[in-house]
Amino acid sequence: MTREYELVYIFDSTLEEPQINERLDRFHALLTCPEAPEPITAVSHWGKRTLAYSIRGKEVGYYVVVRFESRPDLLGELERAIKLDEGVLRYLVVLNEGLAPAPVETEGEEPAAPTAADDDSDDEGDDA
Amino acid sequence: MRRRRKPCPICEMSCRVIDYKDERLLSRFLTERGKIIPSRLSGMCARHQRQLSTAIKRARQIALIPFIRGYSR
Repeated sequence: MTREYELVYIFDSTLEEPQINERLDRFHALLTCPEAPEPITAVSHWGKRTLAYSIRGKEVGYYVVVRFESRPDLLGELERAIKLDEGVLRYLVVLNEGLAPAPVETEGEEPAAPTAADDDSDDEGDDA
Repeated sequence: MRRRRKPCPICEMSCRVIDYKDERLLSRFLTERGKIIPSRLSGMCARHQRQLSTAIKRARQIALIPFIRGYSR
């Protein structure tokens, strides 16, 4: 039985696009299984973004969001491969539980938007 | 007299699930230091508050929002 997952990678921003694609191909090859011959359903490159806090001394990361379908027991091998790769600063695998389709990210948008930048009209304070 | 409960801001947007990648939305429910605003202040319904807290914690892990805002070594 397969399940749907979503995977976010943060690559070192010094890597070039071909190097990142090579890594993605290598990781995704691990997911193929008889039940899901085409495991990857969507790949979206967010591109370089400023991290909200530094990871391994880096302030900028290259984000890639991948949706895939795979058997749960293949995830261990995938995560092991990702952890061994020095070029990946951070990753996150979560079950895709009927999430709305990923919003179209404006690339290079200011990541750390100031708190309550857009709508703070009715949220605080009037309960006091 | 008891104040009438505020409507849940997420239900009002008629959106059922909170996406952990939508940092604009999440940042509306953070204090200026980056803590999660309690539902008694935001009026969030229980289901969405639960989703929100998971979403915020995920977003922190992938460095979309900081664990603590305004903190630097």
